[in-house]
Amino acid sequence: MIEGFDRNQLAAEAVAAWAIAKKDMIIYYLKPNIIIAGLLFPLFMFLAFAAGKNVPLGALIPGLISVTILFSSSSIEPVSIPIERRTKTFERLLSAPVSLHAIVVGESLSGFLYSIGIALLPLIVGIIAFGNTITSPLVLMAGMLLSALCFSTMGTLFAAYPTESPGDIMSMLNLVRLPLIFVSGTFIPLDAMPPVGVAIAYFSPLTYGNDLIQCAYGNPASFDPFLDVVMLVCFFVIFQFIAHRLYAHFNE
Amino acid sequence: MHAIVVNGLEKRFGEILALDHVSFTVETGEVFGYLGPNGAGKTTTIRILTGITSPSGGSATIFGSDIVRDTIQARRNMGIVYETSNIYDDITAWQNMMFAGELYHVGKEDRESRGKELLEVFGLWDRRASRVKGFSKGMKRRLTLAMGLINDPKLLFLDEPTSGLDVQSNLIIRDVLRSLTERGVTVFLTTHNIEEANQTCDRVAIINRGRIAAIDSPERLKKTIQSVQSVEVAFEHGGAQALSALSGLPMVSEARKVGDKVRLYTEDPGGLLREIVSYADSHQDRVVSATTFGPTLEDVFIRLTGLRRPKDGREEP
Ligand SMILES: Nc1ncnc2c1ncn2[C@@H]1O[C@H](COP(=O)(O)OP(=O)(O)OP(=O)(O)O)[C@@H](O)[C@H]1O
Ligand SMILES: [Mg+2]
Repeated sequence: MIEGFDRNQLAAEAVAAWAIAKKDMIIYYLKPNIIIAGLLFPLFMFLAFAAGKNVPLGALIPGLISVTILFSSSSIEPVSIPIERRTKTFERLLSAPVSLHAIVVGESLSGFLYSIGIALLPLIVGIIAFGNTITSPLVLMAGMLLSALCFSTMGTLFAAYPTESPGDIMSMLNLVRLPLIFVSGTFIPLDAMPPVGVAIAYFSPLTYGNDLIQCAYGNPASFDPFLDVVMLVCFFVIFQFIAHRLYAHFNE
Repeated sequence: MHAIVVNGLEKRFGEILALDHVSFTVETGEVFGYLGPNGAGKTTTIRILTGITSPSGGSATIFGSDIVRDTIQARRNMGIVYETSNIYDDITAWQNMMFAGELYHVGKEDRESRGKELLEVFGLWDRRASRVKGFSKGMKRRLTLAMGLINDPKLLFLDEPTSGLDVQSNLIIRDVLRSLTERGVTVFLTTHNIEEANQTCDRVAIINRGRIAAIDSPERLKKTIQSVQSVEVAFEHGGAQALSALSGLPMVSEARKVGDKVRLYTEDPGGLLREIVSYADSHQDRVVSATTFGPTLEDVFIRLTGLRRPKDGREEP
């Protein structure tokens, strides 16, 4: 009886989470500000770094993939959730017969899928235009999927802040996202950074995601890929937990 | 089983006590009206009963499930129609319906057949493929209602369902309410419209400033409501003398001066008008203007609680 009930509720949560993700995809994937934040911004960062360095463009592609995932996966919820707070559609989710976990997962899922789709662009361009070779596709997949999981949850986490204006959340989020680019070994390798930078890098999920992606391209890795995976999973679980707590807290 | 049991419910927003020991019971199959002026605490009550907001004190159960401890179970049987028509503007009416169905775990076949049926009932079937952005206020309201019914709820919360709507939308909504109650669905409806409460509800609770003033059938509340109709008269020679003379009439329940006019409360405005005219005739005065007013909620509330009329915007005990 109890088991049957639980299984039924689990199915309800999954259906609701997927419905929330689908709804976000239909409504937000083509919004101009989301495309700018998720696609154009990483591209400009890439060009800026490329212009200032004497390395072949193709060598910067793995870093570009990491940064693209960071930005695209965390750009949907900080826009959609404040808008839906304003139109009160967010209350629809909050009053549905599902747990807050289903809402957090559903919201994050759309960012996750979006960023995987967007990140395929630099991946394919790298292979075709710059002749990139991927030595371990499995590691690449792990790096991309886990990074997307982490950062989409991070976006949902920031969107918990109870505001009706996407700008508020975007500026808080950028306060975290922009420094991450510089301290996580994406365009500047970890061994070229001062010790302080390296110390900070340990606390950045982007470090581990980028490390996996670099490793997949045959570049020297800073950590054991297994450690990268464990760290990303830890970050994901922590973000999920904090996001859940924040939504519960601000929902008083 | 009771549909809703509310016990000593309290809600604080900082300094504001939005709900002050609210208690009531709603029986299964009943249409329960929650009548109160702006800021009375109607929406706050619904938000607590639907588990969106948690109470600061007291408890509430929905068909026996505690709304705080057993939120999800309590929500399974309810439909909610929010105060604002909260639908997704960027997708179609049909997509909105299907999304609502998925949130409530209504199977694909059921949500498609119910979705079609509901859109037809609410006169939106022809517009199912249109984006909601272009819908009128009434259409949006009807779609919100349709979405609230997609899971075939046993209990429906309606937060001011008809406020500010045109006659046509109002009629559709009233019809739907009638057919729901015929099927035994329990309805909890907030309104600040006395007439609406009177017409649609089996019982009415009157709430003001977070406190329940009375719970009764509309018929019995009507007596109180009737007694707070009023006539406002201006006399040529001012009102002071008329006030003292007319306030003595048995049919006048309360009299006071409003500027240079006299306001007289009565359950029989027609009879009072005759008395006023005969008073003017016998005192060589003349009625400059006379206006009759229907009962206002504030008046009803004051009558029910025995509070004095607000002087500086606040009531005094
Ligand atoms: N989130 C909130 N923060 C602070 N105060 C609030 C909040 N929500 C409601 N209130 C206050 O609680 C009181 C009751 O508000 P509520 O919205 O429940 O009234 P209502 O009866 O629904 O009024 P209306 O007819 O205008 O919809 C008001 O004084 C309101 O200012
Ligand atoms: Mg309200």
